Amino acid sequence: MFTLLNLTNMITTGIAVLGFIAISAMFLIWWERKVSAHIQTRLGPMRVGWHGILQSVADAIKLLLKEDIRPAGADKLVWWLAPFFVVVPSVMAFATIPFGKTLIPKDLNIGVLYILAVSSVCVLGVFMAGWGSNNKYSLLGGIRAAAQIISYEVPLILSMITVVMYANTLSMQKIVESQSHSWNILHPNLALAGLIYITSATAEVNRAPFDIPEAESELVAGFHTEYSGMKFAMFFIGEYTNLFIISAIATTLFFGGWKGPLLPGVIWFLIKTYSIIYILMWIRWTFPRLRVDQLMGFAWKFLTPISFLNLAIAGWLLL
Amino acid sequence: MLRSMNNIITGILSLIKGLIITFNNNFTSATTLQYPDEKKAMTERFRGLIDLYPEKCVACYQCVKACPTACLAMTHKQTDEKKKITNTFTYNIELCCFCGLCQQVCPTGAIYMNKIYEITTYERNKLYINLLNPEKYDEWPHTSPK
Repeated sequence: MFTLLNLTNMITTGIAVLGFIAISAMFLIWWERKVSAHIQTRLGPMRVGWHGILQSVADAIKLLLKEDIRPAGADKLVWWLAPFFVVVPSVMAFATIPFGKTLIPKDLNIGVLYILAVSSVCVLGVFMAGWGSNNKYSLLGGIRAAAQIISYEVPLILSMITVVMYANTLSMQKIVESQSHSWNILHPNLALAGLIYITSATAEVNRAPFDIPEAESELVAGFHTEYSGMKFAMFFIGEYTNLFIISAIATTLFFGGWKGPLLPGVIWFLIKTYSIIYILMWIRWTFPRLRVDQLMGFAWKFLTPISFLNLAIAGWLLL
Repeated sequence: MLRSMNNIITGILSLIKGLIITFNNNFTSATTLQYPDEKKAMTERFRGLIDLYPEKCVACYQCVKACPTACLAMTHKQTDEKKKITNTFTYNIELCCFCGLCQQVCPTGAIYMNKIYEITTYERNKLYINLLNPEKYDEWPHTSPK
């Protein structure tokens, strides 16, 4: 029954999620700049606030004040819609992420499937941005993004299926419950799945070493070359929200979710998620970018067969 | 088969090696200086602005002749003991190319180059300097002791 209580509940959850996304994205942008700086023995932002912690706020204000330029010959509607297609799915994916025992917007019984379905829409936004900009670099970036994201979705889903087979459920909350005794990552079969998941998830969110859709040295900025002001900021927020989501899914599926001793569940969840994000940042600022053909070859000739094999072994063990 | 397996293993090992190197960088101190707050001391042979010890100058005009851009200008007067004393000595930073030839030719080491490198000003007048004035560079930001 749809009641007023339900409605207020929905609105408060929505506001909480949006607030969390905004703060988390801003924090992650600052953190990424700090991590990259320390890895390269620099200091990073230091001026705005304590160790530059308000740098993202300053950047956001700057982006809000900037002119929104539309390139000549752009496909108006497609160009205008693209940033929303990137941000909205990543916000929607928050619906089934378990932050704590009761702290989950909606515990769907098809949680994993829902997240996969929703996050696949992102590629549409990226391609729309590439197509709508009327710029050859944007288009190349969009095409590369489409090819890469669709290719890496295969090993990603196969590795997630392995977890689902062991947990015997698609609900995110029940997958966490199934890890009461030990984390999934400690199981050899699922550890391989976890490694494949992290690798293909890095490619899913277009982060280095798989950042060919926005390779600066080749494509200016890839699909978001022609965007400025708040639309560019939306791409940025989408990128960092996606980073949070893949790490949150990794936490839920492989690292025991919110389960942990002493501290409350949500603290454990955030500690684990941000640790995974740190590892992804560490990888980004260490490895060089892959070539396009190497990237596709890695997905189809290496990750996909291995995840199939892993899936078959999991099935054989479970029989 | 064996070779490709070997390739994969060495590849993974090299990736881990790279990760260790970048992780260790977290614990080394940053090479960045927070510029207006922290300034780097200039090296001994740094060629900053031209400076003068007026008491050492013998008004030989060697520096004025050596200067390729004619940024130095000097006049002198003679004392009763027939000794030359510098009357005026001006330095035009606009023209100076910081070659250091004046410093090289000076027989008494009166003219030298100091360590000042933040040499932008808001007024053009400030670029014309009277080298005989002992307080000529007091307003300029000093990065290391005079």
